[in-house]
Amino acid sequence: MTVDQIPVTGSTGPAARADRGTPAERPRISMTARRHRAFYLFTSPWIIGFLLLTIVPMAYALWLSFTTYDGISPHWRYVGLGNYTELFSDPQTWKSLGRTGLFAITSVPLSIIAGLGLAVLVNRPIKARGLFRTLLYLPAVVPPVGVGLTFKALFDQNSGAANGVITIFGFDALGWLADPYARYVLLMSVLWAAGNVMIISLAGLQDVPRELHEAARIDGASAWRTFRSITVPLLSPVLLFQTVTGVIASVQTIMPLLLSPDGTTAGVTALPQSNYLYMMHVFSQYFALGRYGYASALLWVLFVLILIVTGLIFRFTSGVVFYNVDPEAKK
Amino acid sequence: MHPHAGASLSRRRFLALSAAGAATGAAALNGCAMQVSSGVSGGGETVTLMVKPDDISPELVKQAQKDIGVKIVTVRYDITKLIGMMTNGAPPDLVRGVGATDAPYFAARDVMEDLDPYFARSSVLRPDDLDPVNDLWRYDGRTQGKGPRYGMAKDFSQDSMFWYNTGLFDKAGVDYPPETEPVTFEEWLENAERLTRRKNGQTTVFGGSYNGVLTPNLLASLTAAAGGSLFTEDFSRIDFTTPEARKALTWYIEYGRAKVGPSIVQPDPNTWDGPTFQANRMAMSNSGYWLGGLINSDKKLAPLARLAPAPVFEGGQRVSPCQAGTGLWMPKKARNKDAAWRVFEWFFGEGPAKARASSGWGIPTLKSLRPLMPAQEDYQKRVLKVQNAELKHFSVIAYTPYATADSLYALFNQEAPAAMNGRMSVDALAGRLNSVMNEQLKRGKEQVG
Repeated sequence: MTVDQIPVTGSTGPAARADRGTPAERPRISMTARRHRAFYLFTSPWIIGFLLLTIVPMAYALWLSFTTYDGISPHWRYVGLGNYTELFSDPQTWKSLGRTGLFAITSVPLSIIAGLGLAVLVNRPIKARGLFRTLLYLPAVVPPVGVGLTFKALFDQNSGAANGVITIFGFDALGWLADPYARYVLLMSVLWAAGNVMIISLAGLQDVPRELHEAARIDGASAWRTFRSITVPLLSPVLLFQTVTGVIASVQTIMPLLLSPDGTTAGVTALPQSNYLYMMHVFSQYFALGRYGYASALLWVLFVLILIVTGLIFRFTSGVVFYNVDPEAKK
Repeated sequence: MHPHAGASLSRRRFLALSAAGAATGAAALNGCAMQVSSGVSGGGETVTLMVKPDDISPELVKQAQKDIGVKIVTVRYDITKLIGMMTNGAPPDLVRGVGATDAPYFAARDVMEDLDPYFARSSVLRPDDLDPVNDLWRYDGRTQGKGPRYGMAKDFSQDSMFWYNTGLFDKAGVDYPPETEPVTFEEWLENAERLTRRKNGQTTVFGGSYNGVLTPNLLASLTAAAGGSLFTEDFSRIDFTTPEARKALTWYIEYGRAKVGPSIVQPDPNTWDGPTFQANRMAMSNSGYWLGGLINSDKKLAPLARLAPAPVFEGGQRVSPCQAGTGLWMPKKARNKDAAWRVFEWFFGEGPAKARASSGWGIPTLKSLRPLMPAQEDYQKRVLKVQNAELKHFSVIAYTPYATADSLYALFNQEAPAAMNGRMSVDALAGRLNSVMNEQLKRGKEQVG
């Protein structure tokens, strides 16, 4: 077929009809199919990105986890499930996993409570409310590297401001960045970013119908009772979201590394033991010891654990999370 | 209907060919992006250097274009990025490395280019002009210091030496260390304790810092100073239980316990001694001649600072090795070896090398550049005299090819704090280190084959 023969869109000649078929012969595309096509068309950039940047690396890491590959050496070999069985007998894995669990259990509720508390405060009709909201949210936009540098300077034993204040009152300086205090500095660095939780909770608070609060007030309910019986249930989907994302973020945190005085790849193992979390163990196995296979196995185990924990959170909160969904939207 | 030459294309065919053309073009562009140098010798070429920002300044990069007509593209040194580039078959043309530890590791894995043929025909880098420190970049398949050259050091220091601040010694009423005779490690630690100043739980003056360049090199050097060797003869195992290695380990753990200077259990937020020494808050710093680059630039500190020989162990031997010998090496799969070698010659033997030699940031690695070392001021002459005397005790302490220094350092960091905090004996630590480090060496040996 030549260019001359290309049917022109909208042409109604017999040749054109013959080429395209009559409307009765053409397969009809249903509205659902069109919607599906539009859906896949619009989501395809994300799907392609997800395949290339998530599924492929995950599959590669899974393959690595069955090898002794170190990135350079020529004589790596397959070890089957060897890395996975070693993982279960590695005391550092279990210790770091335990610390990570403890860190998640303490840091997630603390940051949610702090963020929600701040949100309730700045949701009140106070003067300069916008300024307070901005100031409280600002720390959350500071990059983690900046937070790490600032905290290291603040809590340095010999020249940090924290010890400067302590010594004014006659107390001896503390080694904040060493055991046993390093865990508290890590917690403080997490709370520093409570503005993130605050901003999401604030959006949730503003979605709570005012009539419910007014009705409660007319019924004589106290502020605490109103908060407990109206605000919290209506905020429960937001709180669930923050719990799930908070747990995932806390087990993946690299903040201990940013707080480490020796931020080199090998320096990761010089972290105070209380801050040697699971991801630090993964990092040291990958980059300090060059054990790509073993570190990939550690990551796959973490991935499965996160799935399980997330599933458990959904399972155990299903009875207490209240979804205020528009019935029409369910159709 | 099939299109043929001169015939018109159908729209569908046109679109299909366009798509194929675009895909081919994209693939070609992708290939171009990975290919960092042309592979053709001569002027106007591009050479990729994987270095740290301090290794080569933007001004020097421009200077290279003027001097030798080669465009240098720098990539920030990162071992993971290097591994990625090497895996993709498109490594940088020259890579930064620490001769003392990287040379045997990479050479044993057959990823380094043998530079002997290049040296043989170079009029800039003549083998007879090379300082013995460059032997750190030699590896014969078994031992470091022998065999083909795989790289070269840009400058060096004898890293077991130490600088001291006479002002702080005077304040504490401690005698200065002798300038040509070494103190013992025990005397050094005793002095450090006397020089340390504390107030309200804070250390206001560190008596002394002694951490070497990287802990594994330091421990190998300390063991050599005690008269032994940290590694077995075939470098496949490490042994901290020999009397010499145990002596070295005991001293270093004592140093950590005494908290007279930065260590794993008392880290310095500056991560290196320079700023603390410059602030008159450190009486002794285990740094070689290179720290003179910083000291010379501070007119108040320079007259107060002096260099001292590497300490010795009683009954041991006097050794003063270089624990780093940082320089450049050429990957075997570098695309543009001839142009890379031209940059190599320029960087190590021409303008940049002369500028480094006269800056005081290390001893030049070509003997012919030694006269350029700073010696205008009295304090510089004094330092140079000590340094020249120390060169007689230089030796190469061979390192294992089966593990990176980072990996052994990481394992040491994991085990040693318990001993430094008094929760583990040195003997127990020696056993633990033998166990975890030999496991790492075993894995490395398997992978080298």
